[in-house]
Amino acid sequence: MRYKFAEVFQRIAKKDKKIVFMTGDLGFHAFEKLRDELGERFINAGVAEHNMATAAAGMAYAGLKPWIYSIAPFVTIKVLEEIRNDICLPNHDVKIVGLGGGYDYGIAGPTHHAINDVGIMMTLPNMRIYAPGSAEDLEEIMKKMNKEKGPTYLRLTKAEKIPVAVSKYSPVRRIVTGNKVTVVVLGSILNRLLLAKGVDVWLVSEMPFLIPQDLKKSIQKTKRVVVLEEHVEVGGLGHYFHHLLFENNIMVKKFLHLFAKGYISHRYGSRDFYLKENGLDKESIAKALMRL
Amino acid sequence: MNNPKGEALRKQLRLKIVEFASKTPTAHPHIGSCMSCIDILIQTLLSEMKAKDKFILSKGHASLALYVVLNYLKRISTKELQTYFQEGTQFGIHTPSTLPKDIPLATGSLGHGLSFASGLAKGFKLRFKKSAPRVFCLISDGECNEGSVWEAALFASHHQLDNLIVLIDKNGFQAFGKTSEVLGDAASASKWKSFGFNVVSCDGHDLKEIEKAFRTLRRMKNKKPNFLICNTTRGKGIKAIEDKVESNYTAIVGEFYKKALKDIEKL
Repeated sequence: MRYKFAEVFQRIAKKDKKIVFMTGDLGFHAFEKLRDELGERFINAGVAEHNMATAAAGMAYAGLKPWIYSIAPFVTIKVLEEIRNDICLPNHDVKIVGLGGGYDYGIAGPTHHAINDVGIMMTLPNMRIYAPGSAEDLEEIMKKMNKEKGPTYLRLTKAEKIPVAVSKYSPVRRIVTGNKVTVVVLGSILNRLLLAKGVDVWLVSEMPFLIPQDLKKSIQKTKRVVVLEEHVEVGGLGHYFHHLLFENNIMVKKFLHLFAKGYISHRYGSRDFYLKENGLDKESIAKALMRL
Repeated sequence: MNNPKGEALRKQLRLKIVEFASKTPTAHPHIGSCMSCIDILIQTLLSEMKAKDKFILSKGHASLALYVVLNYLKRISTKELQTYFQEGTQFGIHTPSTLPKDIPLATGSLGHGLSFASGLAKGFKLRFKKSAPRVFCLISDGECNEGSVWEAALFASHHQLDNLIVLIDKNGFQAFGKTSEVLGDAASASKWKSFGFNVVSCDGHDLKEIEKAFRTLRRMKNKKPNFLICNTTRGKGIKAIEDKVESNYTAIVGEFYKKALKDIEKL
């Protein structure tokens, strides 16, 4: 999604001269054009993420609109205090872009994965999280981020294509209609879900969110909810959605949460290797749904 | 940019600090650190800075020193400041995020101020080019233990932030010992020179010296960020705690309070 990101960003930043792009030394073979286009508004902040995050807050204070970019753990977990104190507490207009949500970085291993980023960001004041389900949603999301004032986190992934045509972007939307089980999915793990008959599939691309009426109706009909996410059990969509169900008095017969367990074998492999080990590959997800 | 009232203020604002600190029986006002940097604040905020310039107190534990200066400038009313350390106050141990015009960054966790100041100085340059306002950032020598300070130093130097003035309150102490006994002198002229800064030193309790140092830095036209080493004494003005690690752990109560007032009068 980073190529698409660069392409869209270039267009947005061309129009909006207040935008400044800061990268933590990432972008080889992806951001060269963007660098040429933005000139002094493109800043390679170096392998110095702590400074990058807080300097971005300083730029926002100066009236600019900084976007900071690096591999997801390096702009979330590594700089959590900078984000909390300097960006979120004063509600500064800083956009945080993390590349490689979930196990996206595959064999690069756990240091490069972000399987608890959503949970961490959800605890921060004023923070809005975007987890695109596919590259097609990116433009809409980025335009929205640029319009909104305040801290946002964009969880970029490789995001292969979704095998069905999807409706116009909204934070929570139906992908396919079914009447046996309601599956709520966070972001781009969507394409590991086989769109079997009877499954009512909903894609969540923003957190936090309010539960849409049609989703409520779907659950009232199916009484079975599955939450699927490439994120640890605590703090992500699963816990949040479970809480929403209770808050909205929506009773269900079954609730299944499919999530990332972490590093079971401590072996390295591709994203698919990790998904399989965590029961998040296509076959495991399909089996889990059948057992429901 | 002379500051004729400055000398009187050195006593007057020290007395204010002690007065407000005495309202809590705790040692949390970090009196040693406040006394160490108050003269730097007086010269910087009351003489050197212009209306659009910004000041970042990175060593947020010396907040009371900043509060009394902002009170003198009528940016914080006396009525408001009288809530210092009371339940529900805006003015706690560390600087708040609720007065962004005068306190651009809520600090307390060390190592954040210089990055923020550098980003702000860069932002000003991007927006206002040659008429970019200046950014003053007060850090402490203990704070230079933080890795992020050095990340910020690289950034400021690489981006030629000549509108950035780093002030260092170099009192030789950190929380649990002398800086020389903890990690060494991270605020040395040679270190900061090697990071690409103009470095000037002065007596951080002598307003004329600070003023002279500012003048020297203003004359530098070499696109380098600036680093002003202010050699200071922790607890300056209160004899019993001067140059002692316990100066930041002393409550201003009873006889100590009375003695402190007398000491300051003799400053």
